[in-house]
Order: sequence, then structure tokens, then C-alpha cells
Amino acid sequence: MTDKKKTSVIIRKILLYITLGIGVILSIFPFYWMFIGATNPSGAIFSVPPNLLPGDFLVENFTNLNENVGIIRVLMNSLIIALTFTFFAVLIAAAAGFAFAKYQFKGRNAIFFTLLLAIMIPYHVTLIPLFQMMADLGWLNTYRAVLLPNLAYPFAIFLMRQNMRSIPNSLLEAARVDGAGEFKIFFQIVLPTMRPALAAVAIFLFMFQWNNFLWPLVVLGDSDMYTLPVALSSLVGMSRVDYGQIMMGTTLSVLPIMIFFLLLQRQFISGILGGSVKE
Amino acid sequence: MKIWKMTLTGALSIGLLAACGGGNDDADTNEGGGNNADGNAENSEAEASEVSGEITVWGWNVAAASMELAVEQFQEEYPDVDVVVEDIGREDLYDRLTVGLASGGSGLPDVTMIETDRLDNYFAEFPDGFVNLSEYGFDEYEGEFPEAKAEAMKDADGNFLAAPWDIGPAGVFYHVPHFEEAGVDPDSIETWDDYIEAGEQIQEATGAQMAPIDISSDDALFRMMMNQLGTYYFDEDGNIDIDSDEAQQALAKIQEMREADLIANVDGWDGTVTATINHQVATVPFGVWYAGTIMDQAPEQEGEWDVFKLPAFDGDGNRDANLGGSDLSVLSHTENPDAAYAFVEYFTTDVDAQMVALEEYGLFPSLTAAYDEPFFEEEDEFFNNSPIWSTFAEVAEGTLPANYTSDYARALRYSADAQAEALLSGGEVQDALGEAAGRIENETGRERAN
Repeated sequence: MTDKKKTSVIIRKILLYITLGIGVILSIFPFYWMFIGATNPSGAIFSVPPNLLPGDFLVENFTNLNENVGIIRVLMNSLIIALTFTFFAVLIAAAAGFAFAKYQFKGRNAIFFTLLLAIMIPYHVTLIPLFQMMADLGWLNTYRAVLLPNLAYPFAIFLMRQNMRSIPNSLLEAARVDGAGEFKIFFQIVLPTMRPALAAVAIFLFMFQWNNFLWPLVVLGDSDMYTLPVALSSLVGMSRVDYGQIMMGTTLSVLPIMIFFLLLQRQFISGILGGSVKE
Repeated sequence: MKIWKMTLTGALSIGLLAACGGGNDDADTNEGGGNNADGNAENSEAEASEVSGEITVWGWNVAAASMELAVEQFQEEYPDVDVVVEDIGREDLYDRLTVGLASGGSGLPDVTMIETDRLDNYFAEFPDGFVNLSEYGFDEYEGEFPEAKAEAMKDADGNFLAAPWDIGPAGVFYHVPHFEEAGVDPDSIETWDDYIEAGEQIQEATGAQMAPIDISSDDALFRMMMNQLGTYYFDEDGNIDIDSDEAQQALAKIQEMREADLIANVDGWDGTVTATINHQVATVPFGVWYAGTIMDQAPEQEGEWDVFKLPAFDGDGNRDANLGGSDLSVLSHTENPDAAYAFVEYFTTDVDAQMVALEEYGLFPSLTAAYDEPFFEEEDEFFNNSPIWSTFAEVAEGTLPANYTSDYARALRYSADAQAEALLSGGEVQDALGEAAGRIENETGRERAN
């Protein structure tokens, strides 16, 4: 009897691992293919049957890429923009989320509702007026033109508000009774308890800004100011495309996201789930 | 990559939509840029040494690189003009150009590259956006370009709003070993019927098909054939002509090839290149620029490729057609129209500048004076030691005009639908093209010629 049970457990485990293994291969293969592309000359990507072995073109692809787009400068632009943006946008989202969740004020629901509506406006609609505004301010070709328009990010505020609602009111009241000011409550009590949610929002916003393409493309005219996606896209001409360089650049652009995610993944998952269940 | 591509296409189309709505504001928000250009027209005869300032030029990869190479020579004539060439991806350039023009000229360069088949669309959407080059005297060069190319540069009143640069004379790239194995003499292929016959022979001997087509989204072969027959989506008056007898003849020929199993249905540009360099197809009918693609992606196939002209529809019919090409325009918000025009004039009409672009980057000039250069008589080692460049030059000079119009992109979409209907669903050519004509009529409000 126990033997039977044991074998059935083992079979189940084997099945489970096979399924998971297939999932792993499916999700890792595109990255592997990208890496293969980055180490081979451009034409190799078209060979049939596909070439699955790393080549010796890594250095050459990197050198060409660096010559074409100045990859170090471009990486710096992307990092500066994405990190600055993430820091301030998370702070704003947390503060706004806290206010929406915990303060009673006139028009609170109306404002929140308007904010939710803003999520639904396709960004294409605001592209040209916003561009015009940046041009009038003389901000074209600056970091702030990329950073400022999205700094109060509606979805992030919404996510923070949902999470902030789970903070017990009694905790805040106790702090007030003890004489803590509102800023002290926010920075010393609310933010530390919200760490998983903050990490989730931070990853989300970092990825948004890191991958953001159209807006930086339009407002950053000078190739010295390009972010990674914009610089990579500039490699795609008409009938002549060097896929080796593009795959090299894509590999470089994925690395920071992977690192960022691996560092924060525990928080990321608990943060997305946070607020979904009332305990 | 895919997501970017999708956002791009989305953004471009929305950008154009938004542009339609905001078109009327353009003139007001132009902050005097347009007037500037008109006012300076009389200075066009100014001495080269008096022209000065910095100008910015947009182009995409190899095109940007070849303009970069021309700057030094240009500065010998215009020492006080600084030229900054910005290398921007092709779709990215259009996105930025559209947004910039729609918001009245902010963030735009002085000079930009635009593909010939998109010119009419930009001229129609942003009539105040481009400097009239005729006022600067560009008309004097009209005779130096093939008529078909020069006509495409002009607005409705016959003014040059762009200067012709490269051109895409069409030919059939073929893989020599396949032809040898099947015992087919490429010189014997004079008509499309010969081509089909040769294709059947090659397929029997080698298993390779004849031509790659992305059936449901690109109709390049159909367009080349229409151009051969002197027709296009629209006739010279801008009426819908996609269902003309000639167009039907062209699509029917492609359908015949498909029925003989000679067409490989490939997935987009990458699929075309894959089919080419892995020999799933023995020939690729395309514009001259495809030579660069083959050299880039399959350098090891040197000597295995060659070119013959597009086959004709009748024994002594027209074998010349064009696919693609691009041009330079001066944008009217420029603060330095004289310098911008000087660069455009120099680059598009100087044989040396054009030859450097051809020899270094394979950009085929439309400046016919360049065709007398010795380079055109040279036998190209990559292409089976054949003088392919002189073949393409002959094609360029014999090509008939095509009227792209501002509705080119819409027509192309419906044309590809018609092609899919005829080739994939086995529909009648006449019905498929008639339906396409009807849809274009609905969407654009243009008259039908047939």
C-alpha cells in the first residue's frame, strides 16, 4: 500500500518536473537565442536549420555597436533616466496613494475617479500636445522632458492606494496620539510597512521607463541623449540590418532588468498579491 | 522587438490621424519659418562663400553614413556651413517627422530623407512643411534625372518639394548554381511565361521555388509588374486604377505562378532573407538595394548570385520597373534655408557624392550623369563577374512614371488583401481587384477610373 503511494508520488513528481522543465525551456529559449545572435555574424541568424551554438563574434558585435551608437553613453542615459524616474515616481505614488487611502477630504473620490480615467487615455492621444508643450518650454533633448510628464503615474498611485488601505487606522491614530506629525507617520511608519508594495511598484516603474520607447524617441533628438531602446531602433534601416549588433544591444538592455528583478523578486510577488486579500 | 514594432506602427498611424485633425493649425504655429524660406528665395544665387551656418540632416543607417562621407567635399565649396548628420532608424524618422510637423516644426532637422512613395502623403498632410526647391532654382536639374523619378518629387503645381536621391531599379536576382544544375540559361528568360517554364524546370531539378512573397502583407512583385505595364494603384489624375486590365494581367500572372507552386509564401522581411540565403528560392525579383542585403547577410555566397532584368509580358514588352527609392527635402521651419538648399543641391546633383554613396553603401543614384562613370562598366565579383550596375542603370532610365498619391499606404493595404484573396483563397483576380478598388474608393473618396 505504502509502496503504491510512494510510486504514485514519484510519478507525480516526475510529471511535475517535466512540465516545469518545458516551461523553463520555453521561457529561457528566447534569451538563449538572443545570446546566440549576439555572438554570431548577422547572416547566421537566418540559417536553416537554425544555428544554436555560440559563435566568436561577440567582441566584434560589441565594437560595431559601440561605434554606431556609443553604447556606454546610451546605457548611462538609460540608467540615469530609469533610476531617477523610479525613485521620484515611487515616492509620489506612495504619498498620493496614502492620501487617497487614509485621508478624508472633499472631492477625494472625484479626484481618484479622474485618475482612474487617466489610465484609460491611450498615450498616442497626448503625444502631440505633450510634445508641443515640451517644445514651448524649450525642454526638447533634456532628461526632464522624458522624466516629468509621467512622474505621477496613475497605475502606480492606484496600486499604492489599494495597498495603503490595509494599514490599520488604529496604528495611525496611536502614532498621532504619541505626537507624531503627518510626515513622520508617512516616512517612519507607513513606508517601512509598505516595503513589498513599494518594491513591486518600483520594479513596475523601472521596467516601464527602461523599455519606454516612443516618448524618448520623440523628445530626445540628439543621439548623445538616446536611451537604449531608441538607440537600438536607430540600427534598423531599410534593406540593411546588422542583426548581430541588434542582438548584442538587446542582450545588454535585458541585463539590468534581470538584475533588478532578481534582487527584488520576493517583494515583487508578495507586493502584487498584497491588498488583494483582507486579513 | 516585436512590441516596439507594434507601438511604432500604432504610433505612426495615430500620429497621422492626429495630424489630419490638427492640420489647420500648422500655418499659425509655424512661427515664421515658412515665410523665412520664401523670403530668401532671391538669395539663391548668392555666392557660395556667403552661405553659412549649421544645418542638421536626418537619414537612416547607410544613407546617413553616405551623407556623412559627402560633407567634407561639400565644405570645400561651402566652408562656412557645418553639416550634422543624424542617423535615425527608418520608422523612427517618420514618427519624429510626423510629430514634429504636426506640432509646427519643433525638434525637426533642416533637411530630411523621405522615401519616394511617402512624399505625396507628407506633401498633402503638411502643405506648409516643405521648402519649395523650385524657387531656389532646382528646376534646372530636372533633365538630369529619369522622368519618372523627377515627376514624383513635385507637388500638384509642379514645384519640386524634394530633390531626387536614390532609386530602386528592379531586376531578378538569381542563384547561379541552381540555374546551372537545372540547365536553365537565364538569358533565355524574356517573358514571364519563360520565367514560369524555367521555374518548373528548376523546381524539378533542385526542389527550389522561384520567388518569395509575403502574400498577405506585401505586394512588391505586383507593384513592379504594374509599373512595367505602365499602370499603378492610381492613374496620372489620381483616380483609382488598381483594377485596370493591366493590373489584372499582372496579378493573374502571379496567380499562375502560385498555382504552379513557384511562390514561397514567406513571413515578412526576415522570411524573405531566410528564403534567399538558404536557397528555398532560386530567384528574388526586387529593387537594386537587395544586392546590399545579400552581400551583408550571405558574404560567403560571393560569386553565386547574378541579375537579369524583369521578364516582359510580351516578346518585346517593357522590362523596366522601379521599387523604392528616397529623396531629400528641406523643411520650411529651417532658420537656414540657403545652407540647407546648398547641401541638398550639392548632394543630389554632384556625381562624386552620388558615386561614393553607391560604391560604399550600394545606394543607387537617380542622377543619370553618374551612369557614365567607369564603375558601371565594372564586373562585380560578388555577382558572378557581371556588370549588374549597368543593367540596373538601363532599367532606371527606362522606367515609366507611377503616381503614388497621398493614399498610397491605404491602397497598398487593400492591394495586399486582394493578392491574398487571389493567391491564398483562389479568388478570381478580377473580383479581388474590383473589391480592392471599391474599398479604396470608400476610404479615400477618390473616383474610380474603371
